[in-house]
Formats: sequence, structure tokens, C-alpha cells
Amino acid sequence: MEAIRETEKKYCSLALTIAVVIAIVCFILAFKPLGKGLILGAVFSIANFIIMGETLPMRIGHNRRRSTGISFVSIFGRYALMAIPLALSIKLSQFNLAATVCGLFMIQLVILTEHIVNLIQMKFRKTQLL
Amino acid sequence: MSFDTATWIQVATFSAGGLAMGFGAIGAALGEGYTAGLANEGLSSRPEKSGDIFKNMLVGQAIAESAAIFALVVAVLLLFLDPGAPYLLKASAVLAAGLSMGFGAIGSGVGAGFPAGQACLGIARQPAVSGTLTTNMLIGSAVCQTPAIFAMVVALLLMFTDFSSMPLAPTWAALLGAGLSTGLAAIGSGAGGGLAAGASCEGIARQPVSVGNVTTTMLVGQAVSQTPAIFGLLISFILIFSAFPESAALSAAMAPLGAGICMGFGGIGPGLGNGLTAEQAVRWVARNLENTGGLTRTMLVGQAVSQSTAIYAMVVSLVLIFVI
Repeated sequence: MEAIRETEKKYCSLALTIAVVIAIVCFILAFKPLGKGLILGAVFSIANFIIMGETLPMRIGHNRRRSTGISFVSIFGRYALMAIPLALSIKLSQFNLAATVCGLFMIQLVILTEHIVNLIQMKFRKTQLL
Repeated sequence: MSFDTATWIQVATFSAGGLAMGFGAIGAALGEGYTAGLANEGLSSRPEKSGDIFKNMLVGQAIAESAAIFALVVAVLLLFLDPGAPYLLKASAVLAAGLSMGFGAIGSGVGAGFPAGQACLGIARQPAVSGTLTTNMLIGSAVCQTPAIFAMVVALLLMFTDFSSMPLAPTWAALLGAGLSTGLAAIGSGAGGGLAAGASCEGIARQPVSVGNVTTTMLVGQAVSQTPAIFGLLISFILIFSAFPESAALSAAMAPLGAGICMGFGGIGPGLGNGLTAEQAVRWVARNLENTGGLTRTMLVGQAVSQSTAIYAMVVSLVLIFVI
């Protein structure tokens, strides 16, 4: 399961770094709730991705009944986890709701951006070779 | 037992939250399950590539889950956000928001599972192109999320637009129609786009040199598959932003509600149909690269014919809104 750990490490560190950099810019520009909301959402997005990856071998390596049970617990647990930052940002004014929602999609955004950047780089290299 | 306006709004928001998350979870769970199923198939044929297959499965499932996260966001907003000044139309607006997001996430969740599953299987067949397969899968899955994003936009508009100056009847029906129009129409488009993306991953795994042509045909096919969802969005916007004259007659309310139902259901078939056409076209482009032009033209002609039913639905919806 080394490949899964590597994938988790790569995307999670990238997502957190991007969230922190944007948050610092927000703090400098005096948009504190935006920065805080983004970090909050990103942290929970990362936690969701890690749990998803860690429960993956558990879901596969057992008999059908146990795998189904683990999958259900994993899905409900992860959705409940993702609801926490949203509820917090609605209740507490120090977190911006829109930024928290953006933060929740940080892992997905990082995955898509990384692959699109790679695709553009590949195309660029091909054109240069021609 | 008598209900005041605030109680009606609370009843509607709780029901809408349940509908948004309940229906919204269906598609993503099916898509993720399909991905894991094909990952198992790939693992059984090439166990030594389990690392790459698991990695792709994890990334694919994360993207397929986006539609359910959209639904979760809308559901939590409905449950915890302060509804503001209470007026009865708000109850209809939030219920419509829940319906839009719940139905709208189904197709995208299912659709995003097809490329993720086929990419897992493809990595087992052609480990050398695993990177290309993952990229193609991600592009295909991302496009599949568009109808769910339309549904979320409509849900947020319904939740945050101030309708207090509008007459209760027939606006309540127009708002429900708006939610149903985009929500239902998004089902076919989301799943249809996924079929094309799945065939694209399968095609690249069969013939890696076809990647350029296959990706282009996939994107064209997916774009046409999204059209019914765009029609649904258009009808929703008209229903949300039109000022309907006050009328206590039930028939006046049924016209905008009927328009939403007509466009919503009318968009499911064409979205799926266009996806089925694109799926076969993409599959055969990968096997017959020389005939890409002919296959793409045939696909577009077939999709245009399939699309006509969505256009009929839109015309009837517009008649219901503006003529009757």
C-alpha cells in the first residue's frame, strides 16, 4: 500500500501548501475570515482523502459482509466529517462560508490542476521537439 | 395543529436538506462502487500492478465523490443557515433547492464512475500508459461534474434570491419547476458524459496511439451530451427570474410547474442517448483511427437527432411559461 501512501502524501502536502499560501495572502490583505475558512475546508478535505485511502485496503482485504460494513461506516463517517467545517463556518463569523466550501474541494482541485499542467507541459515539449 | 410561516419554512428546509443529501449520495456511491468493481477485475488479471490500480482508484473515487460533496454543501447550508425574514414562498424555494441538488448530483456521480473504472481496468491492460489513462480519466470525470454544478448553481440561486416581493401564487410552482428542471435534466447529461469518458479510457488502453483522436471525440461527444442539462438550466433561469402575475387559479400555477417537469424529464433521455452515441463513437475511433472524421460526423448527426426530443421538451416548456 506504499503507492496509496505516496499518493496521499503528494496531494495532501500540495493541497495544504496551496491553502496556506493563499491564506497568508488573505491575512496580509486583511481578509482573515477568507483565509481561515480556506484552511478549515482544506484540512477537512485532506482528512477525508486520507481516511478514504487508509480504509481502501480494509475494504478489499476482508469477506463481503465485513467489507460492506467498513464501506458504509467509511462513507457515513467521511460525510459527517465534511459537514463539520460547513456547520462551523455557518455558526462562527470568523470563517468565511464560501472559502470553506472552496477548501473542501482543495484535493480535487489539486489533482485536476496537476494533471492539466502535466498535459500542457507534455504538449509544449512535443511541439518544441517537432 | 396550526402551522405558522416560520414552521412551514423549517419543515421545508429540513425536508430539502434530506432530499439533497439522500438523492445526492446515490450517484456518487454507484460511481465509486463501479470503479472499485472494475479495479478488482484489473487486479485479478494483473496483481503485480496493484499499486498503480489502487492509486488510480483512489484518485478516481475522490473525483467521483465531488457530486456528493456538492449535495452535502447544499444540505448543510439548508439545515444550518439562517433562513432570514420568514415568508411562505421561502418554503417552496428551499424545497426546490433540495430537489435540484439531490436529483442533479445523481447523473454526475454515476457518470464519473465510468472513466474511473475503465481507467483501472486499462492500467491492468496497458501499464505503460497509466499516466495518460489517469489524465484522460480526470478530464472525462471533471466534464461529468458540469451538470451537478448547474444543479448547485440553481439550488444556491433558489436559496439566496429574495422572492419576498413576488406573489405566492403562482411563484411557488415556478420555483418548484425551476428546481425540477435542472435537477432532473442533469441526470441524463451527467451519466451520458460518463459513458463517453469511460469508452475513451477503454480505447486508449486498447490502442495508446489513439489518445489524441479519442480525447477530442470524447470531449465533443460529452459537450453535446451536456446540452439537455443546459436547456434545463435555461428553463430554470426563466422560471426563477420571470415575474408571474398573481393568480389564485390552480391552472396558473400548474403551467410553470409543468414547464419544469417537462424540461426535467424531457432532458433525461437525450442526455443518456447522446452519451450512448458518443460512447460507441469514441470506442470505434480508438479501433479505427483512419475513420475518425466519418465516425465523429456520424456521432454528431446521431446526437442531433437524439437531441430533438430535448428541444421538443424545451419548446413545450416555453409554451407553458409564455403562452398559456
